[in-house]
Amino acid sequence: MATLRLHSLTAASEKIPTSPFAPSSRVLSASFHCNEKRVSRRMTINAMGGGAKYKGTQMREKQLSDMIKMKVTEAKQVCEGDETSDECKVAWDEVEEVSQAKADLRLRLEVEKKDPLESFCLENPETEECKVYDD
Amino acid sequence: MAVCSAYTTQSLHSTCSISTPAKTHLGFHQKQVVFYRRSSKRGGSGSSSGPCVITCSAGDSQTVVIGLAADSGCGKSTFMRRLTSVFGGAAEPPKGGNPDSNTLISDMTTVICLDDYHSLDRTGRKEKGVTALDPRANDFDLMYEQVKAIKSGVAVDKPIYNHVTGLLDPPELIKPPKILVIEGLHPMFDERVRDLLDFSIYLDISNEVKFAWKIQRDMAERGHSLESIRASIEARKPDFDAYIDPQKKYADAVIEVLPTQLIPDDNEGKVLRVRLIMKEGVKHFSPVYLFDEGSTISWIPCGRKLTCSYPGIKFHYGPDTYFGNEVSILEMDGQFDRLDELIYVESHLSNISTRFYGEVTQQMLKHADFPGSNNGTGLFQTIVGLKIRDLYEQITSSKTAAPLEATKA
Repeated sequence: MATLRLHSLTAASEKIPTSPFAPSSRVLSASFHCNEKRVSRRMTINAMGGGAKYKGTQMREKQLSDMIKMKVTEAKQVCEGDETSDECKVAWDEVEEVSQAKADLRLRLEVEKKDPLESFCLENPETEECKVYDD
Repeated sequence: MAVCSAYTTQSLHSTCSISTPAKTHLGFHQKQVVFYRRSSKRGGSGSSSGPCVITCSAGDSQTVVIGLAADSGCGKSTFMRRLTSVFGGAAEPPKGGNPDSNTLISDMTTVICLDDYHSLDRTGRKEKGVTALDPRANDFDLMYEQVKAIKSGVAVDKPIYNHVTGLLDPPELIKPPKILVIEGLHPMFDERVRDLLDFSIYLDISNEVKFAWKIQRDMAERGHSLESIRASIEARKPDFDAYIDPQKKYADAVIEVLPTQLIPDDNEGKVLRVRLIMKEGVKHFSPVYLFDEGSTISWIPCGRKLTCSYPGIKFHYGPDTYFGNEVSILEMDGQFDRLDELIYVESHLSNISTRFYGEVTQQMLKHADFPGSNNGTGLFQTIVGLKIRDLYEQITSSKTAAPLEATKA
């Protein structure tokens, strides 16, 4: 029942350019409830300092770290034969690409304190990626 | 002269806005809105085929296009954020779109990452044995067509290169902004694209500084070590020298970042010597100078009026040639420790295109937590941002002046 109301809330938010929680009398109780939940969760996360807010972003951070480790190992292996080969160049270029992607994400989270999934999660709060942790 | 922009209604997130033409002296009184089914193809791979809304506004100036070249994808977030901040407003990724989009949008500016024009994704590049630095990995025809379209006021569906997955994602709509910045590895590589640029910047980081920065960037990662960081830089160097570095001769401004000369044998890369190399004779761009244009001067601001801590600050300014072009070079070595140092330096620079006294200092303070805020990188990036604003204002005012001239004649 609550979920249904949430869906209608998000559908409504696409047409109304103001607050996603613009109340109409029918869904007032649901929006109030969700607003409260969201606010308290947000406050908890902010108390922890800059960092990933949504599960999707946390997963992405881990994914990128793992990729860096994997690609560095791969590059070392590939370059053992011939350091000047194309394969070797490409392998280290991939390491660079992923390292930069991780660094960009870290910059966004720590300096700008904005989770890249913010606007996506505002519209799709029920997806797996948009789960928020209370810790 | 009217410019018409076409949008599909599905792509608009709010009701269509119709711009009010202000140039009534040209005879445009009505706003014209026409709905019809789109027949011809716009730039890029169009996905939707709904009815179109066409808005025509008189005198809407062409988009001003700025090119920014530097290594490593679009991590020039600091430069971009300083630049967009000069125009007001924060640059954000497009709302509600692909969370992995590389695009940044603010009120006045849109920043496009040129990696989006990769013709080969990560797998494709591995198969062909080419790095992202290689021109063969990039679609310059598409880059040219789309930048040209945006410049002439037409929205495009631009591909998205996802740096996490290494794949090319479905395109996103880019509407013509007042200022378009294209940043990446090859903004000045293709001649046709080069000719579309109203101003171009090259960020030239010396090898020692690059190594020091990458250490700072990567050492926290468990996968990395000093050896892997060095190996990565070395392996990319041949392609970098062959394809990226040669673009710097085309740039209107080069920001060169070198190790400091104030501390002997410094290899920490924390104190920097930064040189702003400005081409002479560029339309709408008057180089920044110290004391007097065209003269040569060395200046140490620290002394009786200003006390600086070690290693201090040293400036140099003078004319030079750079790859056969006449240039003026403004150079800063050292760091700012305090606000009053910054304002003192600002008050002695000329042609910085500020709107009020202390604007450079204010901009630097606004982003005090950004890297480079206490040295020449932050200072010159901010100044370049102000010069671009000045360039934009000159270009747009000359465009409104032209039709006036035509009606008088």
